[in-house]
Amino acid sequence: MSFQPKIVGFLCNWCSYAGADLAGTSRIHYPPNVRVIRVMCSARIDPTFVLKALQEGADGVLICGCHPGDCHYTEGNYKAMRRFPLLKRMLASFGIEDARVRLEWVSASEGQRFADIVSEMTEKIRALGPSTIKAKLNTDRVER
Amino acid sequence: MEETRIGVYICNCGTNIAKVVDCEAVAEAMGKLPQVTVARVYKYMCSNPGQDMICQDIREHGLNRVVVAACSPRMHERTFRAAVQSAGLNPYLLEMANIREHCSWVHEEQDAATAKAMALTRSAVLRVAKHEPLEKMSADMCPFTLVIGGGIAGLTAALELADAGHGVYLVEKAGQLGGTLARDDLTAPYLDSARDLMTERLTRVGQNEKIQVFLGAEVKKLSGFIGNFNATIRTAAGNGTGEERSVDVGSVIVCTGYQEFDASRITHYGYGKLPNVITSFEFERMLRAGRIQTHEGRIPQYVAIVHCVGSRNREFHGYCSRVCCMTALKYAHEIKSAIPGVYVSDLYIDMHAFGKGHEDFYRHSSEVKTLFLMYGKNAHPVIRKAGRGDDGERLLEVNEQLSGEVIEIPADLVILMVGMEARQDAGEVARLVNISQDKDGWFIESHPKLDPVATTTEGIFIAGTCAAPKDIPDSVAQARAAAARILGKIAKEKIEIDAVFAEVNEDLCSGCRVCNELCPYSAIDFDPVRRRSHINSALCKACGACGAACPSGAIKARHFTDQQIFAQIEGVLS
Repeated sequence: MSFQPKIVGFLCNWCSYAGADLAGTSRIHYPPNVRVIRVMCSARIDPTFVLKALQEGADGVLICGCHPGDCHYTEGNYKAMRRFPLLKRMLASFGIEDARVRLEWVSASEGQRFADIVSEMTEKIRALGPSTIKAKLNTDRVER
Repeated sequence: MEETRIGVYICNCGTNIAKVVDCEAVAEAMGKLPQVTVARVYKYMCSNPGQDMICQDIREHGLNRVVVAACSPRMHERTFRAAVQSAGLNPYLLEMANIREHCSWVHEEQDAATAKAMALTRSAVLRVAKHEPLEKMSADMCPFTLVIGGGIAGLTAALELADAGHGVYLVEKAGQLGGTLARDDLTAPYLDSARDLMTERLTRVGQNEKIQVFLGAEVKKLSGFIGNFNATIRTAAGNGTGEERSVDVGSVIVCTGYQEFDASRITHYGYGKLPNVITSFEFERMLRAGRIQTHEGRIPQYVAIVHCVGSRNREFHGYCSRVCCMTALKYAHEIKSAIPGVYVSDLYIDMHAFGKGHEDFYRHSSEVKTLFLMYGKNAHPVIRKAGRGDDGERLLEVNEQLSGEVIEIPADLVILMVGMEARQDAGEVARLVNISQDKDGWFIESHPKLDPVATTTEGIFIAGTCAAPKDIPDSVAQARAAAARILGKIAKEKIEIDAVFAEVNEDLCSGCRVCNELCPYSAIDFDPVRRRSHINSALCKACGACGAACPSGAIKARHFTDQQIFAQIEGVLS
């Protein structure tokens, strides 16, 4: 069987988690590679969550929040957006490929968009192959 | 410390989960995890026997944590929290794993889906072990309601609330109230006048001082949460600048209605190109004006009514628009009363006469000699210009299903029964009030059968045709149902607030003030003497932004702590 990437999804409760629920109620099929963890807002996503997921063996991490301007908490997604480039720069210094960690906006009405993002991300990571970060991070003893 | 004893409950959801996920295998795997005392499978965990099973286990096995692997927590977290609470457990010692919306409904391959269901459930087990009991708080329920849309649903909802003595802000985009029903003449099946129905509502709304009407107005912004929303209403002024007003409301009812299908999208009917091919809405205008006539001003002798224009059609809308069949019969009746000796033919796919009095109305229409012709779903009637010797201006060629013959009927006037579709701006409304739309654009209810007027956002309700095509009685019933839901909340005066909020561990706080500026609700104060930050829990809405940013790890986002999320991450990946 081909390589099945493990992707951890951090989804905000109000837009993206509802969007993923809508993909379900609409029976829109997508690959079973993403495992979703619900947070109230994308601003709750501490960069250490992403590092922890990679350290535990995730091949990819998907962060989803409300579209800019639509945040349930007014501007939490902007905080996530501002934090993201810093995280990416740090991940790049670990040699982590760009496609492994993504930030996307998914509204409560975008079930199809969520399914499309997961499908596309799964394919991209499958092409990259398994992550070697787990081993690297563990030898470097990066823990919180 | 008390020993952790976790009960894990896997729901089959009938076959919704069980047909893709091997629930027994999930239960078996969970039963082997440390700290798990019992792991069981049941048909419908949300049913009374399902909940009773959990409660009984809590008592008998001394469970102090519960995991329910079933539907989305957005669907039933409240149900199961209440269940465990009734058995004496703090409601926050429950965690759900979403193995339906995020698993069985989106995956087909059984092994992969079962493995994923195990990962999600294991993640919930590891998380719940880190849960702490939390106490709820309460907030005031603002007794005012914002009703968006002034059609029959909006007017009814507003009256229901105002009659009970509560203030309503009724916002209508158009320059007058009434919505699409205001364009109708008579209504099926009892042929009472739409104008009369409307006048009764409009007069009462006009006289009720509890209802404040905003015409030519839109809601531009909605913030807050149930019981405590703030809405910005913009009324249009002549030069387009408009005036804004901010109002506080406890609930919102969305009654934004539908729009008619654009008949010109079906090119072979020639709507917009051929004269005397008109839509049902244009015909309704003729009826209200009291004169049925052709483009040339003649009285038609042959009228053909074509059903399902844009509805029950894969290319356009797959669904049935529900009201057109009876409206078509109503047209047949009105045409016959207005024009003696007129021939009316009614071209349908199936006659949907589902409602009270509808079947009688259909029978009555057949008795007054309307010619009913059944066409096939994929064999739409063809409209041609009539020849010299033919009656009527045009001919409609129908492959008639019951006789199996191709029949040509004359027509001076062709009425296209256009269906209902979601409004073009429905997406904007959905974003404004934070609710979902289905694939056809209709707003989605919290539960299609058991909770048809609530949405997944607490305090936001939907009524009428913005949720799906429906007739007047159903729209009115929904409007009253939504109002009743709100009256129940107003009567309680308080709404319970989740015990989920953030708090500062003052021993760890370094007084850096990074969190102070991050909070969108200004819930964080700084004590300059002690050099510590403090969170006002009544103002905190639990987004967790401060928790993620605190460099000292001093802020705890209750119920979404670092330890709980780390446990979840380990769970999904182990």
